[in-house]
Amino acid sequence: MKQQAFATQSITESIVAFAQFVRSHGLNVGIQETQDALLAADTGIMSNRDQMRFALKSLFCQSPEERLVFEKLFVLFWDTNPTDLETRKNQTNIQGRVEQKTNPSLVMMGFGKTQDSEEEAKNMSGANATERLKQTDLSKLSEMEADWLETIAAKLFKEMALRLRRRMKNHQHKGLIHLRSTIRRNLSKGGEPIELMRRAQKPSKQRLIVLLDISGSMDKYSFLLLRFICTLRDYFRQLEAFVFSTHLVRVSKALKLTRIDDALALISEHAHHWSSGTKIGDCLDQFTAKYGKQLLNGSPTIIILSDGLDTGAPGLVEEQLRFMRHRSKRIVWLNPLKGMQGYAPEARGMKEAMPHLDTFSSAHSLQSLLELENILANA
Amino acid sequence: MQALQNPSELIAFLDEHKYVADEELVTALFLLLKLNKPLLLEGPPGVGKTEIALVLAQWLDAPLIRLQCYEGLDVNAAVYEWNYQKQLLGIRLQEGSGMSLHEKEHHIFSDEYLLKRPLLQAITQPFQSPVLLIDELDRSDEEFEAFLLELLSAFQISIPEIGTIKAMHKPYVVLTSNRTRELSDALKRRCLYHWVDYPDLEKEMTIVKKRLPDIENELLQQVVHAVQHFRKRKLVKIPGISETIDWAQALMTLGFRSLDSEAMELTLGSILKSVEDIRQVKEDGVEAFV
Repeated sequence: MKQQAFATQSITESIVAFAQFVRSHGLNVGIQETQDALLAADTGIMSNRDQMRFALKSLFCQSPEERLVFEKLFVLFWDTNPTDLETRKNQTNIQGRVEQKTNPSLVMMGFGKTQDSEEEAKNMSGANATERLKQTDLSKLSEMEADWLETIAAKLFKEMALRLRRRMKNHQHKGLIHLRSTIRRNLSKGGEPIELMRRAQKPSKQRLIVLLDISGSMDKYSFLLLRFICTLRDYFRQLEAFVFSTHLVRVSKALKLTRIDDALALISEHAHHWSSGTKIGDCLDQFTAKYGKQLLNGSPTIIILSDGLDTGAPGLVEEQLRFMRHRSKRIVWLNPLKGMQGYAPEARGMKEAMPHLDTFSSAHSLQSLLELENILANA
Repeated sequence: MQALQNPSELIAFLDEHKYVADEELVTALFLLLKLNKPLLLEGPPGVGKTEIALVLAQWLDAPLIRLQCYEGLDVNAAVYEWNYQKQLLGIRLQEGSGMSLHEKEHHIFSDEYLLKRPLLQAITQPFQSPVLLIDELDRSDEEFEAFLLELLSAFQISIPEIGTIKAMHKPYVVLTSNRTRELSDALKRRCLYHWVDYPDLEKEMTIVKKRLPDIENELLQQVVHAVQHFRKRKLVKIPGISETIDWAQALMTLGFRSLDSEAMELTLGSILKSVEDIRQVKEDGVEAFV
């Protein structure tokens, strides 16, 4: 594969070589695009350097991130001086071949890894690091990664909410024709069914109750999980959220704030017991006693986010969950510890809860939270 | 449309029509016209994506057909629908006309009873290629996107009762997206791609000046500076260029000749469109932005 423009004989060959070059660096360029590039060259705009760059850019790139990459590749391909590279030519080819197999990256001959390219990697959708970070245990993040993760999480959660909403829409059928009211309505038109009346769509009852454990043992997770709950708010028309450790606090109102940071600030203001001990059973008891009548009807889905390390009275967790199960559609328990190797639900609280759960899954990484989408889609 | 030789010719025209374009965008438009490929414009809201299609239609002197996408947009609203009521009346009128069943059926499923929605309109233009604007495509469902694929590559639409309708004049297609979700690769591959970003200080001043020629220099500078400042902050809704123009206009209408804190207090609503943002800016003190 030709790595530089000077190695080619004609403009046609250069463009084809350039298409191959950018393809080997991860841009989604196929035969169609190459053909279009040649057609574009035919219109005569290739005589102007900038116009040629812009033209190829609009043909070869499909996202703002790719456009950044393209700029560098363009310079690399068209602007390198043959005399500078003559000696290193062979070396280049080998390097090129190796890189073809690995993931696209921009660290190439003579171009050291600049701060810019780091930034890029961050933005690159589907970049390696993003994937890795998605699977990293939240408790093992460095501070810098945590910031970054938050950005990714915000984006992914938003996409998830959007997908969920769309999926719900697709399930609804267009209202069926309501025969009686159609006939009645069209009596004045001689009984001819001119206006079709349709059955109203059933209001969808999507109700979700989320209980988040904010005790000390959950510290590393609770902030991101709270953000996750904020996302769910966009999707479920009725979302009730509670945080608990030794007491239960209802935070549904705070979540209604548009700005997520405000919501988080308000919640931490109200929850004085952040990072204290855990009494899961007592809190569930408070929940059923205080809000049970009001919320546990119409089969809501209940999500409990907790590590199950209970210090309250034995037996209470089981009793409460049994009660809740009869009044809900399903109970989902997300446990961050489940992500650890060799974890078994041995903790007393968790053990008591197990028989009453419909779904028990992990919540230790971004990936595992995103997987919840499938569970919720059927809620 | 004059015969277009070079992208630079377009710049001058766009400039006349109060659209400030850079060479990159113009090159993309040039390719759109020459290669007849759809152009996908992505970018934050309010940077003039839709406007490009409007100006393009003016340049070509072609009709503009616009399809606004939304969640749940279906084929009925986007392509065609049979005029049910008219068909019913048609059947009544045919009674006793002695037409055969076949003729009757043919009649009520003819062109006369077809309601053409934007996409069908776009490929049945008799005289020249129209500009088809598919706005905010990211809001529509994935099914609709898949449907568009057929249209964008073959420029034909199948209607079971009539058959396949092929475009007489291929429309120039402009798609816009705010990138609230990623569009499918298949769709992107059929399009030219251009990312429209917020303009820098200088460009934005040129744009506002272009739209509001009477604006005084001092006010112009202050307004654009403030807006550029707003964009750097963490706001719920980041103001676009159209908001900048609205704001400048509001200030001019109220007779302010420069941007002071009083003017700011009174008109903040035309630039910031969320209570939280306004509160945040007010808390920080409007003086910081003047």
